[in-house]
Amino acid sequence: MTPLRILILEAQVPFVHGGAEILVRELAAALAAGGHDAQVVSVPFQDYPKEELFAGAEAWRLLDVTKAAGGDVDLVIATKFPTYFARHPRKVLWLVHQHRAAYELCGTRFSDFSHTQRDVALRRRLIETDTRMLRECVGHFTIARTVSDRMLKYNAIASEALYNPPKLAGRLHGGPYGDYMLAVTRLEHVKRVDLTIDTFEKTASSLRLLIAGDGSIRRELREYIERRGLRDRVTLLGRVDDDRLIELYAACRAVLFAPYQEDYGYVTLEAFLSRKPVITASDSGGTLEFVVDGVNGYVCDPTPDALAAAVNRLGADPALAAALGDRGYGVAAAITWDHVVDRLVGAGTRTQRVRAAL
Amino acid sequence: MRIVVAEARVPFARDGAELHAQSLVAQLRLRAHDAESVALPFHGRKSELLEQACAWRMLNLSNSNAQPIDVLIATRFPTWFARHPRKVVWLMHQHRAAYDLYGTPYSDFTDSEDDVRLRGQITEMDSRMFAECERVLTNAQNTAARVQRFNGVAARALYHPPPIADRLHSGEHGDYLLLVSRLEPLKRVELAIRAMAHVAAPARLVIVGDGSQREALEREATQTGTADRITFAGARWGDAVADLYARALGVIYAPFDEDYGYVTIEAFLAARPVITATDSGGPLEFVRDGINGFICEPDAMALASAINRLAGDRSLAERLGRAGRSVAQTITWDGVIEQLIG
Repeated sequence: MTPLRILILEAQVPFVHGGAEILVRELAAALAAGGHDAQVVSVPFQDYPKEELFAGAEAWRLLDVTKAAGGDVDLVIATKFPTYFARHPRKVLWLVHQHRAAYELCGTRFSDFSHTQRDVALRRRLIETDTRMLRECVGHFTIARTVSDRMLKYNAIASEALYNPPKLAGRLHGGPYGDYMLAVTRLEHVKRVDLTIDTFEKTASSLRLLIAGDGSIRRELREYIERRGLRDRVTLLGRVDDDRLIELYAACRAVLFAPYQEDYGYVTLEAFLSRKPVITASDSGGTLEFVVDGVNGYVCDPTPDALAAAVNRLGADPALAAALGDRGYGVAAAITWDHVVDRLVGAGTRTQRVRAAL
Repeated sequence: MRIVVAEARVPFARDGAELHAQSLVAQLRLRAHDAESVALPFHGRKSELLEQACAWRMLNLSNSNAQPIDVLIATRFPTWFARHPRKVVWLMHQHRAAYDLYGTPYSDFTDSEDDVRLRGQITEMDSRMFAECERVLTNAQNTAARVQRFNGVAARALYHPPPIADRLHSGEHGDYLLLVSRLEPLKRVELAIRAMAHVAAPARLVIVGDGSQREALEREATQTGTADRITFAGARWGDAVADLYARALGVIYAPFDEDYGYVTIEAFLAARPVITATDSGGPLEFVRDGINGFICEPDAMALASAINRLAGDRSLAERLGRAGRSVAQTITWDGVIEQLIG
């Protein structure tokens, strides 16, 4: 493929460094590995007061991303609201998310949009403008099926979920099916760590539970474990570094991951790349895009009893864990940056060829 | 303090302005400030200038993720259009084609009605933005004088150490003159090449840098019969440049009306004398004729005679270089940050 000059468009929140920022940089590295000349362009994003949302969108609309030092930019890849407001004849969307407060979060306590006439009008205008800008894109991709479902529901635009491998993909490896289950999670209510802990009160298995990760409710959870008399069975490890995490994955029996409505969740893929099955819940969202019940893990009702039954099965049978884990590996190994780059760049250049033919 | 340094970048280009902003962020962090840069894409095309200024105006940088940002430091056109209650300008570049370069071959603005109006708009809007700022500092006196002349704003020069300051060191004075520059018309590298035709062997010229004029300059060297004594070393960074400074006889730096120019300070930190021209702008704020370098008319013969003086007298080169170093050592990041946000 001819090397292209590509700009990845990023909405920057100064002083906040999160997953989307890592994703964008990994994409830039993957494009460079594919022989392309790729750079990230960032514009600061401000969502307060709400009226600033349109100002930020307008800034993207005003900037010219078609030209750069030494000539034309061949392709731009938009990621989040409002980066897709940029003007470019070959604008490809890889949507991380829209402005969620105006979309599915509206009506929950996570949104600052209320049911006033002003907010309702603002929200409608935002979704309408989004739809127009999103339609301009020559290819529509998202980072996960939940994001695609949302865009279909609110903007009536179909898209393809295009997964990327987790950051540790090249380093994760299999190992013995040891005597503990692993949970890797931020310690927040929405991750439902308490459900995971309750599961171990119900299980007949002698497996232990190790929980890697930190968060705002660590202390609360520690007391919860004490009260339930599970101190010998359940351990909060706190934040662990990458090397330790890789080893924890490699030697566990299986991974237990039952958050509430997760968007994507790298944990499932990390478990599979370590050849471990995943036990998850039927309302866990993103995990369900990969976990198939009885094939590479278990999808249970979100109750301690149901999850405990799955733990019991794997606790009693390491060979079963190995068989499920191997099948999980096949699913995760098919998710590569090469594929992401091929699809995104392909969508942009296909239009170019069609236009040239016309 | 939480500080945002605003810069404007041409995608896929690297220039001095980017280094300037990145050094500032790094130095603020060293002093325990929470600093981050914000960089919007920029193009110098006339037709896009107002849109880009407008895009910056759309940005409200008074807070981020519900936390206030204490200070915004704007560095070049059009970053000072951003909205913030406490803006400080540390001016690296106005859009020079609309200002001092107008009427020279280096500007794309003509005397057409449209261009005259556009220049007027840019000048007027820049002035209004400067009026919003708590203070206006510039990277050099030359730039400050321009802001005074065109925008009627009193500004003060605030010099900063070049990015490679810590790597520079001094060694023996060798047999080559060094020229470090992007190879662009404004940098007038051809003056030094033509000068070499009037310089006696074994003196040589080493040119570090790359740019749109490289082929033309190589042709110039061939045509003037100096190609065998001129080395085009291409773009070099960091220690590779520092080592070239360390063993040079002296440094030639004669651009047209440079703003600040790291090269003067880099040469001085390596204890090398600087040969510059009477219309070179920024370098003239540091170079004293016969004390730490030479100031010549901007023509090849004058440069050649300065080169010949250094080539004929190593002890003179050493003396001038030492004097230059004491000038450059007074420029520190502690001073810069105190002046910006103290």
